[in-house]
Amino acid sequence: MKQPLAKKSAHIEDVDVSAKRTNVPAELQQKANAFLNSSNVDTKVLREIVYLLEEPECNAIGVMHVLEVIFKNLLKRKCISAAEKQQEKTKSKGKANQSNAKCQTLYNKAWSFLLVDWGSASKEESSVALKVCMQLILSESKYIYSNAWPRNALRSVLETLVNSETTPPTAVAAFQKYARCLDVLQMTYELLPELAPNIFADSPNMALNYLAIINLLDLGKTVLNAKEYHIGPGTDKQPNFEYNQTRKHLNAVWKGIIASCSGVDEKVHRQVLVVLLERILPHLQDPILLTDFLMDSLHQFDGPIALLALQGIFTLMQQQNITYPDVYQKLYNMFYPRMFYNKYKARLFYLADIFLTSTHLPENLVAAFVKRLARLALKSPTEDAIIMIRFICNLLLRHTGLQRLICATGAASAVEISDPYDETELDPVKAGALKSSLWEMSLLQKHAVPEVANAARFVSKSLPVVEFDLSALLEMKECDIFDDEVKKEVNHFTLGYERPTNFALPQNDIVTKYWDII
Amino acid sequence: MGAKSKKSNADAVYSKKSVKSSNPFDTAIAQTAKRLNPFDVHVNKEKFKILGRICKHDRGLPGVSRAKALQKRSETLGRQYAVKHKTNKFVDHRIGKHLSGDQLTESVMNARFLSEKLAQVRASNKAEKFNLNDDELLTHRGQTLEEIEQYRDERSDDEDIDDEGLNAEFTSTAHFGGDGDTPQDRQTAIEEMISEQKRRKNEIAKDKDEVHDLTEKLDANYKELLPLVAKATKDEQHEKPPPDAYDKLLKEMIFEPRGSVTDKLIDPEELAKQEAARLDKLENERLRRMKADGEEQEANVQIPHRSADDLDDGYFAAGNEDDGDDILAYDLDGNLGTHLNSKREAGDATGQSDEKDNESEEDGENDDDDEEETEDSDSEVDNLSDLKESDSESDQGEAPQPKNKTKPQKQKTSETVDTSIPYTIKMPKTYEDFTELLAKYTPTQQVTIVERIIKCNHPKLEGVNRENVVKLYAFLLQYIKDMFEDASEQDIRLHFQLVAQLMPHLYDLTHLNPDRMSNTLLDVIKEKYAEYRKNHKVYPTLDTLIYFKLVSNLYSTSDFRHPLATPTYIFMQHILSRARVRTRQDIAMGLFIITIALEFGSRSKRLLPAVFNFLLGIVHMAIPKRQVDQIEIVPPFERDGPFSKLLAIPATSESKTLESQQLQAADLVTHTITLDFKVRALDITLRLVKQIFEEQIGEHTGACFLASPFLPLMELLPLKLYPKHVQQHFAEAKSTLECVAAKKMKPLAPPDKKPKALRLLEPRFEVVYDDKRRPKMSKQKEERAKLLHKIKREKKGAIREIRRDTAFVQDLKLKQQLQSDKERHEKVKRIYQEASVQQGELNELARAKKRKKF
Repeated sequence: MKQPLAKKSAHIEDVDVSAKRTNVPAELQQKANAFLNSSNVDTKVLREIVYLLEEPECNAIGVMHVLEVIFKNLLKRKCISAAEKQQEKTKSKGKANQSNAKCQTLYNKAWSFLLVDWGSASKEESSVALKVCMQLILSESKYIYSNAWPRNALRSVLETLVNSETTPPTAVAAFQKYARCLDVLQMTYELLPELAPNIFADSPNMALNYLAIINLLDLGKTVLNAKEYHIGPGTDKQPNFEYNQTRKHLNAVWKGIIASCSGVDEKVHRQVLVVLLERILPHLQDPILLTDFLMDSLHQFDGPIALLALQGIFTLMQQQNITYPDVYQKLYNMFYPRMFYNKYKARLFYLADIFLTSTHLPENLVAAFVKRLARLALKSPTEDAIIMIRFICNLLLRHTGLQRLICATGAASAVEISDPYDETELDPVKAGALKSSLWEMSLLQKHAVPEVANAARFVSKSLPVVEFDLSALLEMKECDIFDDEVKKEVNHFTLGYERPTNFALPQNDIVTKYWDII
Repeated sequence: MGAKSKKSNADAVYSKKSVKSSNPFDTAIAQTAKRLNPFDVHVNKEKFKILGRICKHDRGLPGVSRAKALQKRSETLGRQYAVKHKTNKFVDHRIGKHLSGDQLTESVMNARFLSEKLAQVRASNKAEKFNLNDDELLTHRGQTLEEIEQYRDERSDDEDIDDEGLNAEFTSTAHFGGDGDTPQDRQTAIEEMISEQKRRKNEIAKDKDEVHDLTEKLDANYKELLPLVAKATKDEQHEKPPPDAYDKLLKEMIFEPRGSVTDKLIDPEELAKQEAARLDKLENERLRRMKADGEEQEANVQIPHRSADDLDDGYFAAGNEDDGDDILAYDLDGNLGTHLNSKREAGDATGQSDEKDNESEEDGENDDDDEEETEDSDSEVDNLSDLKESDSESDQGEAPQPKNKTKPQKQKTSETVDTSIPYTIKMPKTYEDFTELLAKYTPTQQVTIVERIIKCNHPKLEGVNRENVVKLYAFLLQYIKDMFEDASEQDIRLHFQLVAQLMPHLYDLTHLNPDRMSNTLLDVIKEKYAEYRKNHKVYPTLDTLIYFKLVSNLYSTSDFRHPLATPTYIFMQHILSRARVRTRQDIAMGLFIITIALEFGSRSKRLLPAVFNFLLGIVHMAIPKRQVDQIEIVPPFERDGPFSKLLAIPATSESKTLESQQLQAADLVTHTITLDFKVRALDITLRLVKQIFEEQIGEHTGACFLASPFLPLMELLPLKLYPKHVQQHFAEAKSTLECVAAKKMKPLAPPDKKPKALRLLEPRFEVVYDDKRRPKMSKQKEERAKLLHKIKREKKGAIREIRRDTAFVQDLKLKQQLQSDKERHEKVKRIYQEASVQQGELNELARAKKRKKF
């Protein structure tokens, strides 16, 4: 964002450069140049350019860029001034003011057009519009408010974001860049409580937009340490970024959310939880107050919401020392076949890994987890199977007593039994997993995907010495396994040695046994 | 040499002592044998015998070595001395001056002669300048060679026996008296003899003349004849008739390369044996790949008893190997007895199959693989027969007519078609050309065309063809894609038939250049996957499935890890676990993928979890549900809603009458779900379930976990609505599933570890102490010291040599001096002698004068 600052001096080249960047039609470019070169402000031309935006078939992006340059220059020349100062100016100066006033109205008009543009479907267009707006805010504060923040401008920007019809608003991606600047961060938090939609349940779209914006506002350490500013570090008028101040605003925002968040549908609820966990929870003043909310979410829903709530509760347990009696049972019951198709399964594995870190857990509890994971690995997609096998391996390493699941004593291994583990039992302690054995692993050794088969081999070989790092696996997708397999250094394509004479295999054909196709 | 002779001497002594030979000359050494004079041998006495030291100088031959040295000196130093102070010397410049005697060959002599001539010419160049007949006359014994040739009469050479001497008869009679009846006196006898001799000479001369004349005549005649003869032969050559078929054949037979002996005709039995051996080898290799990096032994495998003293050297005590061996041991009750393992197994009814498996895996890889192999092949043969039967059955069942019709048609066309296609077809440049080429013909003709293109472009014919063949393969893949991508219900079967006929050619093509072709196919699959990935909830197009089938047909899919089969596996798993099942096409495609996946795993017995999930899903869809019912099922299938009961059939009677049917090709392209499809799909599912659990994974430990979810779902099927064959398949599947699900397992135990070998201590050797006290030096210094020592010794040797040289030279000088002294002495003597003779003569003269005076 420093580029425009550098470019200010030579505005004509500026037009050219931006024109080149965005394929502005040549006439428009010339027009803009002529307009900027003339000493007097020709409001007619300006008006023409501004209203170009309204026409549907014009090159909106190009026009926006041109407008950006023009208005920046006008602001620099002080042709446009803020509304309050206008009064004084009309008194002191005579004729020049008229054109100024016109400029002012046109400027406002352009703003409104730009804001409308965000709503447009095209992603590029809306992001450019947002960018132009932010640039204008920058120059406005620089030349008019002497480095103070134009609150209203930002407010209008945010308002448009929240009211946007598409969810999430297309411009949000562009806004992310600005959300890293501390001053924007602070201002936004300051403004957000006013903008919150009243009842989330009534307007889920707005609620989602609102939450999407909050999701961008990261008060994490990396952002705070980076110390980026959009306009510049504070002056006497605009105090520097203050964490405490922002935190207070953040709390207000959360209060607003929690007040209006009753009876919302699942999607919004999930988003609320995500925002809470990712952005708000670490900065909340009284996180203990969340317990009710999280408990409700945990008990009333299952699937992703429960999972997110569980994560929240876990944080509370860690930081606030709350106790939750049957958290393990809850976690245990979250492992069921459908969960592989949930959005937050990586989070579940992550959580389970943390929950089961303690070596003081009762063995039969962990054994139940191990058995359940093993059963699920038989039904899950490939990547999850790998994660779960590795996880089981880690659990066996942590809880050495569990190794009896794969190393039965001599006497026990002689007797054949059917699996004593009860899959349907809800309480992990009562599932009887400890008397079982990990036959699933020996079946998984026959998995068609060699990665899985290799991973499951620990049963018959020996356990690794060090635990696997699961975090690398959590992000893995099915496609990655395919890509890895394809990327492998291919040495030899072994061919079949029996020549097929038709569609069927010479031996063991199955397709033609069940299909009447030839 | 000395040692040898000594040894032989010793031997001789020994033999003398021990065995008194009867022959006293046995040990005698021949007089002429080269023997050493014992006085010539000098022996260096050794004070102490040191072990391990080789002594080179224990004996020597001073006389011999001295003579050698002397000879060497006289050849080198002596020569030099001889030419000392000489200002010039005789130099031999002849060609081949170093050659001697036999080495002088003809060519060398010729060269010498030539160079000599040249030298002469050069010398007499001026004089001979104007000599026209410059060729010199060569002479032999004073006669010119020409003259000699002129008068030579070769033929008389051999007959020229003029025995001037008297003949034997005559001499015997004349000299030794003979019979005694010699009435004539000696004079007459001699005269007679002379006359006789003359007559004989005349006769011989006459004969000679006659013979000469005759030969002359003959020669003349021959010269006359000669042109005639030459002409005749030439004419004959001209007139040679053109070779007829017989000649040709004969020539061919003469010049035809004869078959080498080793290539004898192999009789069919031998051939079959070879083929079997080849297949066996390939199969073994495949099994090895299937197991892959020493894949796990089964968890519960019992390793045969190993002694703690087992050295792991691959040696087994004879009895140990045999498992059915009787072991003398105490049983649980404490009774001593032999346990017959085999009997126990036979008695153990339930665990029988397991035991057997274990045993077979116990016995190790190599030995048993063969057996398994044979078993496998047996079972495979069985399968095949099953397959055929079922095929024929189904054929009979459904529609025997169309099949019968199509077959003869096909044959007919293939017979008639062949003439209408050109025999050589160029490789089309672009894919458009290729399709254009194929578009002109019927499917069967298309196959012939492809075959011919392959034949015309075989890489062995030309190097360029290597690229062509790859291109053709790519074209074919593209062609398959175009055929199946938007196939309609009418032509899908035709397309399948075409692909089926192309299959062997695709196989041949892949074998021409496995790497390139496979990479092409892999690229296609990668592309397909990338396409599918964009929206993984929708089934890919049908051509993708055909590629899967292609992989299954062409590659060894049983490998543990295969660069093509493994990605395909992953692809299939992805489709089955993610793609939404909503239409008839989706269901059919899913079942098609499942059958291909089963083919992939038919030998390796590997499992794909998504397959079970999908089969479960189909059973689930066939259960009619009320609005509120929710039966748990894993995505991509839905718990409730319209898609959860796609295959449920209404309670009408028409479904009961449906015939048993395989899945149809049309199922892969149509969307609407008909009643017969519902029945068909469930029927196939049940059959598949049965086959999977019976043949593929039934014996794996833990298969019950996969089988058990089927049972409760299958209970819910409204069986009464389905026709009989479905009910039958249902019963079969259910019994198999129950059998698998009820299986009991032994808890996992790690395989017994090898007993650790006792630690053996290496004997520690100490460095040998040699009693030599030299100062310790660094390596460099030591080296230098060694070198210095060597220099010193060499110097000594050199000085000695020089000294001996001077002695030799002095000796020579002395000899020369003595020689010259002697000569001078003799000369002086002679002078004195002559002088004294002279003086004596003078004295005599003087004395005579005096006497005269007196």
